[in-house]
Amino acid sequence: MQIPEDRKYAENHEWALLLDDGTVRVGITDYAQDALGDIVFVDLPEIGRQLDAGESFGEVESTKSVSDVYAPVAGSITTRNEALVESPELINSDPYGDGWFVVIDPGDSGSLDHLMDAAEYTAHTE
Amino acid sequence: MTGTPLRTVHERLGARLTTFGGWEMPLRYEGVIAEHMAVRTAAGVFDVSHLGRFEVSGPGATAVTRSLLCNDIVKADAGRAQYTMALNDRGGVEDDIIVWRLDADRYWVMPNGTNFHEILGRFVEAGAESIEVDGVRDDTVLVAVQGPEAPAVLEHVVGFVPGRFRTVEAEFDGAPMWTAGTGYTGERGAEIAVPGSRGEALFVALVEAGAAPCGLAARDTLRLEMGYPLWGQDLDPATTPLEAGLGWVVDWTHDFVGRGALLAQREQGFAKHLVAFRLADRRIPRHGCAMRRGAATGTVTSGNFSPVLERGIGMGYLSPPAADEPLEIEIRGSWHRAEIVEPPFIQR
Repeated sequence: MQIPEDRKYAENHEWALLLDDGTVRVGITDYAQDALGDIVFVDLPEIGRQLDAGESFGEVESTKSVSDVYAPVAGSITTRNEALVESPELINSDPYGDGWFVVIDPGDSGSLDHLMDAAEYTAHTE
Repeated sequence: MTGTPLRTVHERLGARLTTFGGWEMPLRYEGVIAEHMAVRTAAGVFDVSHLGRFEVSGPGATAVTRSLLCNDIVKADAGRAQYTMALNDRGGVEDDIIVWRLDADRYWVMPNGTNFHEILGRFVEAGAESIEVDGVRDDTVLVAVQGPEAPAVLEHVVGFVPGRFRTVEAEFDGAPMWTAGTGYTGERGAEIAVPGSRGEALFVALVEAGAAPCGLAARDTLRLEMGYPLWGQDLDPATTPLEAGLGWVVDWTHDFVGRGALLAQREQGFAKHLVAFRLADRRIPRHGCAMRRGAATGTVTSGNFSPVLERGIGMGYLSPPAADEPLEIEIRGSWHRAEIVEPPFIQR
């Protein structure tokens, strides 16, 4: 199970990667995609939507079940990964890379300090 | 908990296990869609040792089998298999069953795993004096080899290919082997039983011959694409074969448990009927989702993603049976338009 050290993690198995411009790229972890099984559908939020931290911003549906995806940080949606609409299996094959979901602009409150680091998340999944 | 004798083999092959009807069985290996497509395009092998099976033999075996099951086993000659059902006196489906007629008076009756003891008990009670009933499940491993390349795999491993719905008894590794050209996927192939001691050798040989190990999750998406019902979801004791659109399973020319109630229902019409549908998008209708069509309402009994169609597909009962209005399915709080189709969902 991969848990890269370059990003932070939320309890509901989302990852958050701070980009150079201060925005935050968000996806779900290797652990989450493995638990879901084959993902066949993703519901992504509209660009510009304002989210609170912990708010559901979309759904991810696998052959097994459907789950909400939660915002690890507050902010507004600036970018969606449109490739997931046609190829949701990217989340299974590359959860930390091509399988990212959205980019959130946290504005001035862009801290990831409340999230787990890789070591803490590893413990969380054990 | 009971479980398959092949557990260590499955774990070595990377299986994730699940509990189904009290049996610990492989749920998936590589992934549901990869396994599903392996069966549609090449070959897959399933451990289905949880399925019920018992042998019925003796001078009364044919009479008892005929009286308990709604299809008529004498329509199948020795060496043939038949799809049939055990009903209750209201005509409801207590189980759907495959019967292998190995000889004129010797049968393998194969109920769903969860109904094994109930159906076996019915046979024992009905034929105490005239038949022998031998519950062979605990002593055997049952596997299914399915897919367009299943015949080549079977030829290589067991040396022959049973015809569709034909039974063949032979030997594997010096032990008895019972086979039939049956399955639950719509593909060519066979189900094969061997003594527990030969199970691992058989399963491993089939995998090495090119059959992808497949779990129960793929078995479920494969049977749904064919529109095959699953007992406990699409069939239950409060649902008749007529309501399920399975009238062809009922042979009216012989007497069987539930015949009177079915006859009455055939005369008077029925309160609900099964519809199969596909969605226009990749949303997945699931067991329990609400359905509506004009004034008719109902519930989805089986629903999943079709890996071949890349769409959500499903089936469920509408009450009262509805006419021409559009069908809609409620998924996560919003209504989705669905197209009604005649199963199977895909052509084989």
